[in-house]
Amino acid sequence: MPKIDLPYLLDFCPLQTEDFTRIHEFFTNLKEGKFTTTKCKSCGEILWQPRVVCPHCNSDEMEWIDLPQEGKLFAFTEVIHGAPLGMEDDAPFSIGIVDLEDPKMKVLARVDDAHYEDLEFGQEMRLKIITLEDGRVWFRWVRK
Amino acid sequence: MRKVAIVGGGLTKFGVRKATYKELAQEAGKAVFEDVPNLDKKDVDSLFLGSAASDRMAFQSYPAPLVAEQVGVQPNKVIMRTELACASGQAAMRAAYGSIASGLSDIALVMGVEKMNTPNMAETQTTMAAVMDREWDGVNGMSAPPFFALVMMRHMHEYGTTREQLGMVSVKNHDYSASNPFAQFQKKFTLEDVINSVEISKPIRLLDCSGITDGAGGIVMTSEDRAKEFTDTPVYIEGLAQCNMGSLVSNLPSLTTWKPMKKAFRAALMMAGKDIYDMAFAEVHDCFTIAEIIAYEDGGMCKKGEGGKFIEEGNPYVGGRLPVNTHGGLLGTGHPLGATSIAQTVEVIEQFRGEVPEERYVGGEWALTHNLSGNANVHSVLVFRRGG
Ligand SMILES: [Zn+2]
Repeated sequence: MPKIDLPYLLDFCPLQTEDFTRIHEFFTNLKEGKFTTTKCKSCGEILWQPRVVCPHCNSDEMEWIDLPQEGKLFAFTEVIHGAPLGMEDDAPFSIGIVDLEDPKMKVLARVDDAHYEDLEFGQEMRLKIITLEDGRVWFRWVRK
Repeated sequence: MRKVAIVGGGLTKFGVRKATYKELAQEAGKAVFEDVPNLDKKDVDSLFLGSAASDRMAFQSYPAPLVAEQVGVQPNKVIMRTELACASGQAAMRAAYGSIASGLSDIALVMGVEKMNTPNMAETQTTMAAVMDREWDGVNGMSAPPFFALVMMRHMHEYGTTREQLGMVSVKNHDYSASNPFAQFQKKFTLEDVINSVEISKPIRLLDCSGITDGAGGIVMTSEDRAKEFTDTPVYIEGLAQCNMGSLVSNLPSLTTWKPMKKAFRAALMMAGKDIYDMAFAEVHDCFTIAEIIAYEDGGMCKKGEGGKFIEEGNPYVGGRLPVNTHGGLLGTGHPLGATSIAQTVEVIEQFRGEVPEERYVGGEWALTHNLSGNANVHSVLVFRRGG
């Protein structure tokens, strides 16, 4: 019997270069240690995730602004079973939602180096930038 | 607008089935047509198929004509597939409602078919994680259990909801599914069983979760004037509403107060001219124990934050103030995404006809079904009245 071994299209991490996305600047900024998003030049709304068109006023004039890289832990969990492909070997891993102060917004990301029991409401967290083997970047939270 | 009636329905056995997607569709077709013996298949002019993830879990796109062939219908008014994750089946019912009410369709077969168990469970989990915003939530390991874990821990923190109160939801629903022949879990559990079950995504445990389920079902919908040709007990859809707010988890208006749920319940009941306590029973979307607790609150059965107390005081049980999930809910019967809403509707049909076992029989004149989908950002509600 011939061997059947087909990969699925199962990569969660977004494609990050100019060829694939109009918000590539988010990723180049992240590579340089900056955590950023877009702000609508027309109505002033700060948008998360970064956008190319403002959902409030339809303007496509955006500027990049820096976001704080620290905040307070609002909610958290630790995934023990049922992680998707590509993350099975990471489990158990934690996920948290962090409140940023200025601008006021919430950012969800993986929480590194902490089990559920290590975490508390309101805990001070800081951003950690990670680099994937293929050079793509992403962000996580760690305890401050 | 014509009044819309449901004249019958049927389900496959839910569970880890040794059967393919198409075989489940055939079984469901048989169950429906046997429940509506006066219906000639040639008179089915429309097929609405709820199927959330056939593309990924059965590697089958374009499943509507496939299912039409499997069950032996040749629709000549409308054929479509609806996808709304966990509410895909109710989306199909809603589309059928619109088509019949407007006069476009006369007799619609509404089906839900889902095959979720594959040789590689991680692939199923991957498909479920892609229900979230794949690039910005799924990438962080978010899927249903971690999302509802965040909701549960915040609800416990904000309102003092206890582990025991949450566990009681699972015990109740498994008690009811134990006597439901199509249920995935025909087994009762104790509170200790729930509280000590395997941790999935802290603080959620295995028995806080509904199953990964293969299953299918169907109902027949038609206009009020045709309904009597098929049944003495038509079920009328008197109210329906939906509400969506947001998508990305970080941007949801609240984790613990589901505003779109409040709006959908209120609007559907208002359309029917009824109050939640006019319902004889309600089938709500208990994909996780915390979801049923929040349904008590934001569905208007009790005050905000008192969902735990609501079950502790015995209200959502058969014989209580408002029985909830008399068929065993998703926790007890399983959650084959597209077929879930169909199973809730079949429970309404059977309750109204008096076809359920004594221990969970409620009957009555009015009932409500609810589905949430995704990260609780869409809520879909139907209000039914017993005819005949
Ligand atoms: Zn704007």
